[in-house]
Amino acid sequence: MATNPMHQFQVYKIGPEINLGEFNLSYTNASLYMTISAALILFLLFIGTKKKTLIPTKIQLVTELSYTFVAKMINDTAGKSAKAFFPFVFTLFMFVLFCNMVGMLPYAFTVTSHIIVTFILAATVFIGVTIVGFIKHGIKYLELFVPKGVPIALLPLIVIIEIISYLSRPVSLSVRLFANMMAGHTMLKVFGGFVISLGLLGGWLPLSFSVALTGLEILVAFLQAYVFAILTCIYLNDALNLHH
Amino acid sequence: MLKQKTVKKIKEISTRLKIAKNKIAEENTENIKSSNAASLGKALKIGTELVAAVVVGSTIGFLLDSSFDTKPLLTICFFILGVVAGILNVIRSAKSMHKKIQ
Repeated sequence: MATNPMHQFQVYKIGPEINLGEFNLSYTNASLYMTISAALILFLLFIGTKKKTLIPTKIQLVTELSYTFVAKMINDTAGKSAKAFFPFVFTLFMFVLFCNMVGMLPYAFTVTSHIIVTFILAATVFIGVTIVGFIKHGIKYLELFVPKGVPIALLPLIVIIEIISYLSRPVSLSVRLFANMMAGHTMLKVFGGFVISLGLLGGWLPLSFSVALTGLEILVAFLQAYVFAILTCIYLNDALNLHH
Repeated sequence: MLKQKTVKKIKEISTRLKIAKNKIAEENTENIKSSNAASLGKALKIGTELVAAVVVGSTIGFLLDSSFDTKPLLTICFFILGVVAGILNVIRSAKSMHKKIQ
């Protein structure tokens, strides 16, 4: 059904079925749009840094802007010691941003509206940050779960609560991005369906809503990529400079 | 002759001062703008923070229950702990926001 608002989230395979043991590694439309996003990022950065002029061209300006934006974000939230993680945060930010933005094009598939994609991204951040913390502080990193000045009688309870709070990071990170993208796209589709069913007479109202929602969705697409990146920076900051 | 020179110099300094002042004012307004976008992001962040901790707590409780055969005791306990952890998360992010404003 074309009018089903959830139809747009269907994953189907393109080309032959590839099985590696028990895993199904077929190329799907989700993989296609991830490839498109990654290729667009590479293309933009390649074109933008090809001709370095003192007075930048428009594409060079976009490239430099994205660089300084992420660099400033890392510097402000995680300090100078996190500069080494710039490539990771930049890649993450650009990938999420481009996946969101490519999904805004008509007929396109939004990769980030699937929780498995966002959860893998968030889990990468979570595991990476934990490893960085243990490398930097060794066993002392576990002090993160033991706040200062807590009476010993309360300590077991507090430690469990802190561990739950720590484990909730990747969940909140992934659910936020996934829920925002899916809700927005479903809403767009529902209003699009209203335009068709109300016809020429009453279809103008939902159409205007649809236009406004598209603008809002573009804002959300950017904002969610920004939030994803800035939370990565905050978690990095927690791991690098161990204190509350 | 000397007087003219000093007058010229003073004029130059005053224009430079004006430019610098304008620059500072511009930077200040820019800062406010960017912090507005950041706080919108943070506002979106807080809601999921609360829910995620509850979900994680309940899941841990459910898994422990399944392995120890003590349904539904641990699920309830860890659900409550999850709520506490969620509220802690929200208070923490609100505190960090408050610190940044000041």
